[in-house]
Amino acid sequence: MRFVRLSLSLAMYNLRAYLRSARTVALGVIMPVGLLVILSWVFAHQGTIAAAAGYPISAIAFYAGGLTSYGLMLGTFTGVMVAVVSAREAGWLKRFRASPMPPGSYLSGQIVFNVLISMGLVIVMMAIASLVYGLHLRFISLVAMFCYTMLGVFCFTAVALAITRLVTTPEMGSSVGPFVTITLSFTSGVFLPPDLMPHWLVSFSNYLPLEPLAQSMQTALSVSSGTGIMFRPFVVLGIWGIVAFVVARWTFTWQPLRR
Amino acid sequence: MTVIEVSNLTKKFGRFTAVDDVSFHVNSGEIFGLLGENGAGKTTTIEMLEGFQRPDGGSIKVLDHNPQHAPREWRDRIGLVLQESEFDPLHSVRETLQLFASFFSHPRDVDETLDMVGLADKANERVGRLSGGQKRRVDVALGIVGRPQLLFLDEPTTGFDPVARREFWQVIEGLRDSGTSMVLTTHYMEEAERLCDRLAIMSKGQIVAEGTSAALISAFGATTVRFELPYDVDLSALCTLAGAPFVLRDNIVTALLGDELESVLLRLLKWTKATGTVLHRLEVVRPTLNDVFLGATRGDE
Repeated sequence: MRFVRLSLSLAMYNLRAYLRSARTVALGVIMPVGLLVILSWVFAHQGTIAAAAGYPISAIAFYAGGLTSYGLMLGTFTGVMVAVVSAREAGWLKRFRASPMPPGSYLSGQIVFNVLISMGLVIVMMAIASLVYGLHLRFISLVAMFCYTMLGVFCFTAVALAITRLVTTPEMGSSVGPFVTITLSFTSGVFLPPDLMPHWLVSFSNYLPLEPLAQSMQTALSVSSGTGIMFRPFVVLGIWGIVAFVVARWTFTWQPLRR
Repeated sequence: MTVIEVSNLTKKFGRFTAVDDVSFHVNSGEIFGLLGENGAGKTTTIEMLEGFQRPDGGSIKVLDHNPQHAPREWRDRIGLVLQESEFDPLHSVRETLQLFASFFSHPRDVDETLDMVGLADKANERVGRLSGGQKRRVDVALGIVGRPQLLFLDEPTTGFDPVARREFWQVIEGLRDSGTSMVLTTHYMEEAERLCDRLAIMSKGQIVAEGTSAALISAFGATTVRFELPYDVDLSALCTLAGAPFVLRDNIVTALLGDELESVLLRLLKWTKATGTVLHRLEVVRPTLNDVFLGATRGDE
């Protein structure tokens, strides 16, 4: 009970800072929304796009799904990395460690916070896609999107935590995060249709976390019957997440790296 | 009753021995000072007491627990004031403190805590807008909001102006009066002399002196006697008749004296009376903790 209460109060603490910072809101929401507007406009004449699933889907489903996964990764991966590294280097994590706060509630606070802002992103993206671009949004698709969101947040939080030992400054985190996210977005069928990419690169990306997430979100928004729920992302992101948590458990430090 | 017991504590970083066979104890309700130059091993010692560093040898008991294996509830009873820290600039002082208070089972009231550290009028200010000295007070507030039985203060007043330092001392004295035990490291001898009931001076990883500041001063400090060299008096003759190792610098005769102080002064004054000599600018200067510190840490150089 106390664990849940502390996780929520840590999540709310993060959320409050997030909402007060124009820069993070801009990074988290305006970038994916802006790209959605630009890319759907550029590719509007295509009508359908050959997505990785193997069958053509509408350009708006392709970009609404892909860019939501991009925004989720950008926000969570970069956000967790920057939050943890800056809290660590400021001596804030050391303080947490020295208090009776259960260590796990810091982690679950981060996850709850990122689920909340990612859900917010999903809602904004879906609203624009359906209201402005006429995406036919089924209730079941929305449910699938929320499931994938939780999966994505779990995975990218873990991966971010696993590499915080290598990230010495928050500035480094805020450049590494977007760099990795944008690079992966090109190879994962987010910005460009996968058939424009070399085959081997696309196959390789299948084993990285962003491609399965993007593809499953694109599929969820394009199927006209059934749930559209795929299992592959749960396997790939699940393994990435679990392995990353194990790595994080060994490498994570509460003490500032630089003295 | 003791709140901390340390015996034969040792910590090595590679070949460097940061803490070398250190033993001391801290009694309940007292302020224990740990003095020493940078790199003397104070922070490493404190971090072992807090459970952040694993000792390589010796034993530690803090509030009846080994900090390495202490349960989470043990953390409810200790507080930390860190050397320096930054806070999320987007939260107000009160919000920052509220988050931290929520971790403890019997926290102090947030506004009462802010009042104690003199930040009551800044409660709604964003932390990012505070001055350096005010941020350090937030530090102290975070250290005491959990109502700790034992508080660690690692150079708490570094960067304070003299007024802020004096106010801070009053906060610390108030905490002591309410029964909080404290371990304090500091660079400021005046601070140690005023606040610490007992203190230990560390040098190169070892404790080179320990006791109350009065005891340390009388044990290690030498009293300085100095005056202008009278016209027509020879220094060596002066040394012989007074029985003191006087040295001459810029026409001022100086000697550091321990137990022999009174007999030297007596001989000196008898001589001035007999010969009608006047000792201009005669001074007898009591040693300060600073002299003890410099003497103890200079040691074998």
